[in-house]
Amino acid sequence: MKKYILNIGLGIVLLGALSVSCSDNFVEREPVYSIDSENYFNSESDYYNALIGAYDLLQSSYVNVLLGEIASDNTLAGGESASDVVGFQQVDEMTHTSVNSNIKDVWNWMFAGVNRASYILEFKDKTDFAGKNQILAEAHFLRAYYHFELVKWFGAIPLNGDKRFKLDDEKKIPRSPVKEVYASIEADLLYAVDNLSPDAPQTGRATKGAAQALLGKVYLYQDKFIDASKVLDKVIESGKYSLIADYSAIFENAGENGKESVFEVQYSDAEGAAFTCLQCSEGNVAVGFNGIRNYVGPVFDSGYSFNVPTPKIANAFEVGDKRKDVSILDIVAWAAANNATYGTGYKHTGYFNKKYLPRQGDSNIGDQNLTNPNNYRAIRYADVLLMAAEAYNRGGLDDAKARTYLNEVRRRAFGDTNHDISASGPALTDFIWAERRFEFVGEGIRFFDLVRTGKAAQEIVGFKAGKNEIFPVPIEEIQFANGNWQQNPQY
Amino acid sequence: MKSRLLLTVLMLFTSYAFSQSFDVSGTVLDGSGLSLPGVNVKVKSSSQSTTTDFDGSFKLSGVPKGTVIVLSYIGYKTQEVVVSGTKITVKMSDDARSLDEVVVLGYSSRKKRDVTGAVTVVSSKTIEDLHPLKVEQALQGTVAGVSVTAQSGSPGAAMNINIRGIATNGNNAATVFIDGYQGDLSILNPTDIESITVLKDAQAAVYGVLGANGIVLVTTKTGKKNSKTKVSFNSSIGTQETSKKMSVLNATEYALLLNESYANGGQALPYPNVSGLGKGTDWQKEIFNPAPVINNDIAISGGSDKITYLLSGSDLSQQGIIGGPKSDFKRNTARLSLGADLASNMKLQTNIIYTYLDRDSLNENGLGSVLFNAINTPSTLPVRDQNGNYTLVPSSPGYGVEIINPLAQIENTYNDYKLRKLNGNVSFIYDITKEFKFTSRIGFNTGNSISRNFSKQISYGGKVFDITRSSVNQNTVNDNDYTLDLIAEYKKTLFGNHNIKAVLVSTVYKTWGSGLGATGYDVPNNSWKYADISLAKGTSPAGGRDVSSYSYDDRRVSYVGMLEYDFKGKYLLNAIFRRDASTKFGPENRVGYFPSITAGWVVSEESFLKDNSILNFLKFRVSYGVLGNDQIRSNAYTGLLNGEATYVYNGALINGTAIGGLPNPKLQWEEAKKFDVGVDFRLLNNKLDITADYFIDTRDKLLIPKIPVSGITGVYAPGASSPTMNAGSVRNKGFEFAINYKDKISDNFNFNIGYNITTIDNEVLEVANSTGYTEAGGFGVGQPLLPSRMEKGKPIGSFYGYKTDGIFQNQAEIAAHPSQAALGAATAPGDIRFKDINGDGVIDSKDRTNIGDPIANVIMGLNLTLNYKNLDFLAYAYASIGNDMVRNYERTLTDVNRSNYVLGRWTGEGTSNTVPRVTTGATNNNLFSDYYVEDASFLRIQNVQLGYTLNKTFSDKIGISKLRLYVGVNNLYTFTKYRGFDPAAITGPQNDDNVSQSSVGSGIDNGFYPTPRIYTMGLNLNF
Repeated sequence: MKKYILNIGLGIVLLGALSVSCSDNFVEREPVYSIDSENYFNSESDYYNALIGAYDLLQSSYVNVLLGEIASDNTLAGGESASDVVGFQQVDEMTHTSVNSNIKDVWNWMFAGVNRASYILEFKDKTDFAGKNQILAEAHFLRAYYHFELVKWFGAIPLNGDKRFKLDDEKKIPRSPVKEVYASIEADLLYAVDNLSPDAPQTGRATKGAAQALLGKVYLYQDKFIDASKVLDKVIESGKYSLIADYSAIFENAGENGKESVFEVQYSDAEGAAFTCLQCSEGNVAVGFNGIRNYVGPVFDSGYSFNVPTPKIANAFEVGDKRKDVSILDIVAWAAANNATYGTGYKHTGYFNKKYLPRQGDSNIGDQNLTNPNNYRAIRYADVLLMAAEAYNRGGLDDAKARTYLNEVRRRAFGDTNHDISASGPALTDFIWAERRFEFVGEGIRFFDLVRTGKAAQEIVGFKAGKNEIFPVPIEEIQFANGNWQQNPQY
Repeated sequence: MKSRLLLTVLMLFTSYAFSQSFDVSGTVLDGSGLSLPGVNVKVKSSSQSTTTDFDGSFKLSGVPKGTVIVLSYIGYKTQEVVVSGTKITVKMSDDARSLDEVVVLGYSSRKKRDVTGAVTVVSSKTIEDLHPLKVEQALQGTVAGVSVTAQSGSPGAAMNINIRGIATNGNNAATVFIDGYQGDLSILNPTDIESITVLKDAQAAVYGVLGANGIVLVTTKTGKKNSKTKVSFNSSIGTQETSKKMSVLNATEYALLLNESYANGGQALPYPNVSGLGKGTDWQKEIFNPAPVINNDIAISGGSDKITYLLSGSDLSQQGIIGGPKSDFKRNTARLSLGADLASNMKLQTNIIYTYLDRDSLNENGLGSVLFNAINTPSTLPVRDQNGNYTLVPSSPGYGVEIINPLAQIENTYNDYKLRKLNGNVSFIYDITKEFKFTSRIGFNTGNSISRNFSKQISYGGKVFDITRSSVNQNTVNDNDYTLDLIAEYKKTLFGNHNIKAVLVSTVYKTWGSGLGATGYDVPNNSWKYADISLAKGTSPAGGRDVSSYSYDDRRVSYVGMLEYDFKGKYLLNAIFRRDASTKFGPENRVGYFPSITAGWVVSEESFLKDNSILNFLKFRVSYGVLGNDQIRSNAYTGLLNGEATYVYNGALINGTAIGGLPNPKLQWEEAKKFDVGVDFRLLNNKLDITADYFIDTRDKLLIPKIPVSGITGVYAPGASSPTMNAGSVRNKGFEFAINYKDKISDNFNFNIGYNITTIDNEVLEVANSTGYTEAGGFGVGQPLLPSRMEKGKPIGSFYGYKTDGIFQNQAEIAAHPSQAALGAATAPGDIRFKDINGDGVIDSKDRTNIGDPIANVIMGLNLTLNYKNLDFLAYAYASIGNDMVRNYERTLTDVNRSNYVLGRWTGEGTSNTVPRVTTGATNNNLFSDYYVEDASFLRIQNVQLGYTLNKTFSDKIGISKLRLYVGVNNLYTFTKYRGFDPAAITGPQNDDNVSQSSVGSGIDNGFYPTPRIYTMGLNLNF
């Protein structure tokens, strides 16, 4: 018996010695149930799935729209108080500095989008399959979209070809001049135009028309009027798009992805969201921010009363312009007419951005202020027409054609031909620019229009020419770059 | 060799049979003459041993005259007695810190006299004295250098143990081992514990990569050989109440303040008539209610000459002082400890613990928590409206969208968490020869938890807590791990005076598990009763995922070599070398090496001090070592497609793939370089016992999770995150001093008084990410500038905001000061004046600076016990000095309630230079500044207890060995200037390991659930 136990004892000792010798193999294990990011793109579905990730960041561009509008003379920051989202308040006052977490969001999120598009392009040659060009073209389109946002906001930005940025690239790769950034955007969009299908495989994905329209916009921003007019005409001549007769129908839920939508950022109310990760929301965060504070009444849900239109824009509409009541909600009149109540926030003007207010009827999954499903109509056919008009006019190419496009937009706005414009030359240019202001109020376009047309300093209080055309690079980025990047002038 | 062993065993038996001997019976008494049960009685020259009975008596049969008997008992000085007759009486001196006490050091143990590291032992006596509900509380104020903080005062909330300061913004909790395996203190019944050893310096190097934050070693109780069955039963019942109520405005004060505020903002008075408002509702009184706590445990132990056993069970149920059963905690434990001598030199020891936890919790410690709402809801609102429903807090900008009726919030909170955990170990100890010992042991944890959260469909009238669709979320988690140790120990004395012990260890650790969660919508009848996915059949709109899961698998292989040497017990040396390989790091840096050395000189053993009448013992110690840390998220070295990629195609959500956290293949071990020099001495017949240490802990290659990096790398995408990098260095240095004095004035009266103090000087030496800092935390609402930093030259987690310089008394002062307009709002007299820190003539976000930190500079503990005849008394207190806290429980809106310090606000020139004016207009006064940072130093009387032990003569008659009755108060009183609920509130943002809390962002008080005051009465019964 004793001997038996002793044998067991020695056995355990031996077993122990054996297990020690198995050594470091024990820690060589693969992560469980996970996919290695560097051994991906082995099938069509891998590309398809990665593309969804690249689209995802479009949703975070809500802040570009919201903050872009606040930056313009169309709206004030609003909110609860002077310290409510200080970053918005500062941009509104044009006192923003390189310490501004909302401007930082624009930088971070748009580069995240660039990163995800580049991830696909980095592995573009790994696996072949039919229809791959369509997916690669979408990746090119998305990268161009994000780059265009970045160049509008920050000017020169670093570029890294078809590769993701690695850690420490910020210390090595310089900020490419604006011209080079635009060249890269044009190249991406030309590829996209050549390879995208005219009809999206699924609603929400980029089309040939979207790429052409964006390319036209990119040309226009560089005053390349001939190129712009050509490519925009292709969108117009494609016959795929038209103005929705009833302007008010465009911004309702039922009007999403309509005939007028050349490109639309898709949002959904199907998933919850939290303030800790606004870029993770599938909803349009800007809509809740635009919402009427403490609103109780019909049609709308309440929100945080940011981005409130100024009396200046509200009073600027011509009599008979049907767009005014669609664009701007006069809350006093509305409350009286609908027995509604509301609260007044900071810098309350009595007006709200009606195109992008929270509507009742969505699923209100928490936090319901962050999960509004209103799609952002990124490029409307009206924009294509007015851009084309501007290209024909300013390029001295064809004022008659420019007037035709302009008046097409005006006839819808007024419902008649009495308001047609007959001017030409620089006078026509002014009419086109004025039209853009009324057509796109609340859509985040105005500030960049003012900047590219050199009118920002005269229209925006506090705007400093030579400084505020672009925004400061976040201070952290300048620090991370460790001398490689210089701050934008005067910031 | 085997046959020789066998021979030895046989010889033992023969000698037993043939010796000329007689039976000895004896009694063992303690210092005060009471019988002492459970004392180990061993014949020195043989393996014969027994344990004293409940009445302190023992019997040894067949012992030769002149035999030496060794009596030992933890907390008492070991004694040797020579057998001279058949009856002996031994009085043991209750030297609570006996130098011969064996200290468990991990893989090995050493007599206290010979320990060369900074090590403190908390004995079962302290635990029995304190009767803590949670084990961690036994370390609160009792061990120099150890700080214990609760993550919340709610029942069952987790507690943090920090040893010698905070060195990382990642997981900074000490690693816990239970009988050799990695474990968790929160699941233990405190009375199951025999001792807790805290390794504070390079001594922890035996644990290599686990040792950086210090080590807590728990040894559980076992049965004693040759002892009769002993039953120990403890029962206590208590009632809890809040330890603090904040002073907020009553209804009249509130209405008057609002009128002034509205008038200053140029608005109509909201309360034109304040008469008749009275005091209104005291919301804190409404939510705080006395709550019961009941704690029972029983242990049955004993043993024969080959087998020992201990069986114990415990039941703790504690309700919350807020919400009663809605913040309820229940802990049941059952434990079985068995020891068996398989042969004279072979032992098997096993210990199995089963724990069941059940915890329900309320929204606590955050913005919108129950307490936050209780503080901010105006006293003018009644609890219920005319219809008997809970009053809705009005939906208007002045009340915000997060403030709701706290009682309604409690009522509508439904959740349940249950954990069932089995853990324990089996060890096999084989004394192969007298010198050579082999131990093999395996410890394990396996836990299953289920949780359920019901979100009731509810409307608070336009608040963020409104839920338009009911849902139930259910989660199940399975966690497992094992630790397999093989330990070979060789001990020998060479040339008479050189004692050598060499230990070789191989240890393997694996942890793995998985979690599965799902949500069902549209709960039938909107009722908790039907809140189960099987009934809640609604789903998210198309494309929404209502399910989630995760899995993990991490491993470690380690080898330890240890060499202990001493010469005549005078010169002591201990060298440790450990090699670790961990899956937390990539192939290139998977292996780390951790050397350390500790040395001691027992000066009192030298001839010039030996037998000195005043100085009984003097030892100098010094230690240095490099320890590691791998407590970061799994797989941080490699890129995985676990990011979020969700978009909308055809109007429905669609999920794709994206990269998660940015990988860092170069990740490597964090290095903790620990230096310690210390002295232990005893004076005046061992009555006075002093330990002093000076330490410098430098943490290099600090693993900073989510360290900010350039956004061009895509780290701000949904589901992505910044990498973990070895990018920092933090140093903690300080003094530790512990003094204990005990004396016996007479047979009737003795006392013990202990005091310890620790100073901690914490400084971040480096954050290597170009900006020189990382930031975290949150202050107020909509304020994007983060309030806490880990920044070079400052303490970790220091607060970063504006410095105030009084209040502007008039327009002239405003004109004379740099413009504050860039902060957002215009300035008026009565507003806060901020300092122009960078001196550029304008106040903007660049003028923020260090305005305090949540780390205490000094922590102290004071412990007193008195025994007079049958009465005993104890008082334990601890203090924390120099820690700051941010007051962030005020919603700073126009119509919410306020703390009553606003009564001293600025109302005109010369009225106040500290509290700004009130107004509904825009001000910069709510920006994060030192106005919101308060000194949260405190002294807390943690435990006061008075006990009465029944006379022995009487208890003997009724057949019990001991009956003690006691009354006590826990958390009796806290001396502090801090205005919030609890100055010990240290909660931080959760780290990306999803368990620990970050030290950056901690000390921000959103309405911390205070630690309750508990009035207890109880009894200890042994028979």
